[in-house]
Amino acid sequence: MRLFPFLRRKSDLQEEIESHLKMAIADRVARGQSPADARTSAMHEFGNVPLIADVTHNQWGWLRLELFMQDIRYAMRQLGRSPGFTFTVIITLALGIGANTAIFTLVHGILLRSLPVSDPSRLYRIGDRNDCCYYDNYQNDNGDFDLFSYDLYLRLKQVAPEFEQLAAVEAGGNGFSVRSGATPARQLRSEYVSGNYFATLGVGAYAGRVLNEKDDTPGAAPALVLSYKTWQADFGADSAIIGSTVYVQLHPFVVTGIAPPGFFGDRVIANPPDFWMPLANEPVLEGPNSALKNDDQLWLYPLGRVRPGVNIGTLQAKLSVTLRQWLATRSTYSANGGAALIPRQHVILAPAGGGIQRLQQQTGTGLRLLMILSTVVLLIACANIANLLLARCAARRSDVAMRMALGASRSNVMRQILTESVLLSLLGGAVGVAVAYAGSHMMLALAFPNARNMPFDANPSLPILAFAFMVSLLTGVLFGTAPAWLSSHAQPADALRGVNRGSGSAGDRSSLPQRALIVLQVALSMVLLAGALLMTKSLRNLEHQNFGIITANRYVLQFDPKGVGYSLDRLPALYREIEDRFSALPAMANVSLVRYIPLGGNMWGSCVIPQGHPAPGPNGRCFSTWDRASTHFLDSIGVPIVRGRNFSAQDTATSPQVVVVNQTFAKYFFPNQDPIGKHFGVNTPQYSGAFEIAGVFADFKMTDPRGEIRPLFFRPLSQQFNGYKEPDADAGEKSSMFVNFIILDFAQTPSDVEVLARRTLALIDPNLTVSHFSPYDAEVAGNFNQDRLLARLTSLFGALALTLASVGLYGVMSYSVVRRTSEIGIRMALGAARSGVVAMVLRGALWQLLVGLVVGIPAALFVGHLMTSLLYEVRAYDPLAFLGAILLLATCATVAGFIPARRAASIDPMQALRTD
Amino acid sequence: MAPKSDYQNRIELVQGTLDMLVLKTLQWGEQHGYGISQAIRASSGDVLQVETGSLYPALHRLERQRWVKAEWKKSESNQRAKFYKITKLGKDQLASDYERWGRMVATIEAIMTAK
Repeated sequence: MRLFPFLRRKSDLQEEIESHLKMAIADRVARGQSPADARTSAMHEFGNVPLIADVTHNQWGWLRLELFMQDIRYAMRQLGRSPGFTFTVIITLALGIGANTAIFTLVHGILLRSLPVSDPSRLYRIGDRNDCCYYDNYQNDNGDFDLFSYDLYLRLKQVAPEFEQLAAVEAGGNGFSVRSGATPARQLRSEYVSGNYFATLGVGAYAGRVLNEKDDTPGAAPALVLSYKTWQADFGADSAIIGSTVYVQLHPFVVTGIAPPGFFGDRVIANPPDFWMPLANEPVLEGPNSALKNDDQLWLYPLGRVRPGVNIGTLQAKLSVTLRQWLATRSTYSANGGAALIPRQHVILAPAGGGIQRLQQQTGTGLRLLMILSTVVLLIACANIANLLLARCAARRSDVAMRMALGASRSNVMRQILTESVLLSLLGGAVGVAVAYAGSHMMLALAFPNARNMPFDANPSLPILAFAFMVSLLTGVLFGTAPAWLSSHAQPADALRGVNRGSGSAGDRSSLPQRALIVLQVALSMVLLAGALLMTKSLRNLEHQNFGIITANRYVLQFDPKGVGYSLDRLPALYREIEDRFSALPAMANVSLVRYIPLGGNMWGSCVIPQGHPAPGPNGRCFSTWDRASTHFLDSIGVPIVRGRNFSAQDTATSPQVVVVNQTFAKYFFPNQDPIGKHFGVNTPQYSGAFEIAGVFADFKMTDPRGEIRPLFFRPLSQQFNGYKEPDADAGEKSSMFVNFIILDFAQTPSDVEVLARRTLALIDPNLTVSHFSPYDAEVAGNFNQDRLLARLTSLFGALALTLASVGLYGVMSYSVVRRTSEIGIRMALGAARSGVVAMVLRGALWQLLVGLVVGIPAALFVGHLMTSLLYEVRAYDPLAFLGAILLLATCATVAGFIPARRAASIDPMQALRTD
Repeated sequence: MAPKSDYQNRIELVQGTLDMLVLKTLQWGEQHGYGISQAIRASSGDVLQVETGSLYPALHRLERQRWVKAEWKKSESNQRAKFYKITKLGKDQLASDYERWGRMVATIEAIMTAK
């Protein structure tokens, strides 16, 4: 803006002076002088035109701006003169700044994000933890309550007028088969929300209307709102869909509207909901298994907008009181000694402007670590560039000294050199933005490979660009200050003396800072390398641990018989046909059907009560994971039976109900006993005779690949327990009969395995669609996406750091060898052996390495300590990782020092003495 | 950097008075830079010669202070020139400058005539 009048003013002045001269000449000619004489005398009288123009111009106070432009022009010229140097610096910076910006893109997208709703700062969630998805007991030992039943939500809503609106959302989410028109059903993600959900968030519809309180009443016509992205991607942005009927799990729903573009729900997750349905529709889809109708079932997160000026602490205390009152009235929570736990139950109000903080809590530590590590990389890059600049300044010392001798002030010289570094860093930053763009795309793909409609993208936005700009600016100042300071201390007299001669105090001035920078680089590299080795080792431990299952040549096929309308009575025939058809495929070893696959991320559990035991007290741990599987399931994942027997064809609907349990289960519930033939049940003591243990199988990891193995049992697909008296327990039992996965265990994998599997399923029933097909290995690997990303990035950073530090060390050593050419020549002339010269130079390099390690190892220990929570079976001070890092650094430092050392040793004494 | 001064026959301008003289000249009407220098020279009976090296910085300084306004126009000799015009602010400034000048002359006079 200011530049424009500045330029106009300049040409204006030029014209003004010309017009002055013209008038002066015209006057003189009128007085009788010849035009040539008139011109000469007018010019003479006017004086020095450029000088006057300059002085006049400066009246406008643009001196600084102009000097600045001058500095930039000069800096550009200087950089253009040494393209190799400029290129190296820009690439180094681009990598450093790019890495930081890429990671900031993720931090910004995930951690610093506000929901795209009106006034997000007034949104609060009741509860601050990540418990999910269905509970009917206390969630945390410290009494922190964060999952709520519908009944409890209504109670809280009633007592808290401090909330302008209090909505409730489902803690988890579902995948449902959605069909519209004649197209085959597709699997979409859903979320149940209360009718005032959109009103609470202050979000209107993009088209049609959003859900309202009326939609969320029992008996209202089932309705849903589609997300904008899903509407675009899956429904072709067809506005005819609004008001039309689609089928969710075969139930008709009216699409009332489309949510606005950019709205992704109430939390930042990789797979946001494709559509939202009122809570009142939950019984429609879940039938007797409904959580809504069960007043004790905890499955909701309340999310509210507080009125301005409400004291959060007071509100929190009040809601906690209501919670305790409610719990006291519920026998599920107060019976069997549970009442003793009620006094410590409380809620915490968590700010929810950034949404429900699940992904944030999951990725926060990792992202913060990456932020630190990328900063370290940038620091190393800065140190390297500062070193390059120092060397460059040394080379330019005569130039600087000459300028100072001619009257340039110290601040002038400093400003000049700083301008150059900032210009460099800005250029590096610009290239870095491109690096960041590619980098954050890669990171998102690595971290969330199965993401669909992810609510954040990797494209640079204004805050990202501002961040990159700020980092570049800081970087430039950081690496430019030392060289600027040092060269501004050039002695003008040196210019006359010829400062480029090797010896003398001035020549050594930059040597100490250069060494200090190398020490810093070594120390920082140590931190990064140790971190990288720790993470890599941790990932190896995670991925190559003994999960207890065999996944090679196994494939997982996910499908949804319930969603396409199979009823309970048609299941046995379907399952039999699936087993028969798939078993007939060539080279098929085992086929099995299972509700939840091991390490697939989902599970189901109940409170186990062994026969003859009372109901467990409030502190009694009775939880066991359980799953429903077909006869050959254990064979198909290579898990052996260690006692008793496996399921067999003789376990039918009418034979005694059997289960197989894992070793942990047997040890936990039947310590020091033979579990075979023992009975147990779930939920309440009256069912404790329901199941008989037929066999014990070897422990394997079912859910958490990092955690301890927990009690687990399997029930056969052929046996449904009909004895439950409570409708919800009976409904749960019925829904457990529906499997979601087919596991294919090939003796030899056919080449077109996916086509084959899809074709086989379609032959059984064309309505059955494959919602997901992958090798079991990939399924297991999916548990470690973030660990892999962390390990790869830290390794990348470590390699980058090592390279930069080595190049830096090499540069400084070479430089010092060149400077000491004559000294080395004299030494050799006086009889020093070549090996002695090599040793002397190497000693210098290794000395810096040593000091760097002394600083770096404690720093690395500290960072390792920060990483503890991310490491799996690796101690933060793992000696192998530290030794490895030291060895790597030492090797690189030796190589970087040896090359200049050999060059020093090859100096010809005669030549050396003559050159100087 | 000092502009050369080879006009020995003329009186050097007393420091700080140029702005006042320019403003005074402009009180008679708008004028361009060349005109102003001619006017000052003429009205001083050729004694005062305003150097362009001082005049133009002064004019631009005055313009920046908003004591004068500038406008491109055709001169009487049909030459495009930048005309300066005194503003209300400039007139106030001139009055206060002149008053200060008067006091200064009186003070110096008092010193010089003291016995």
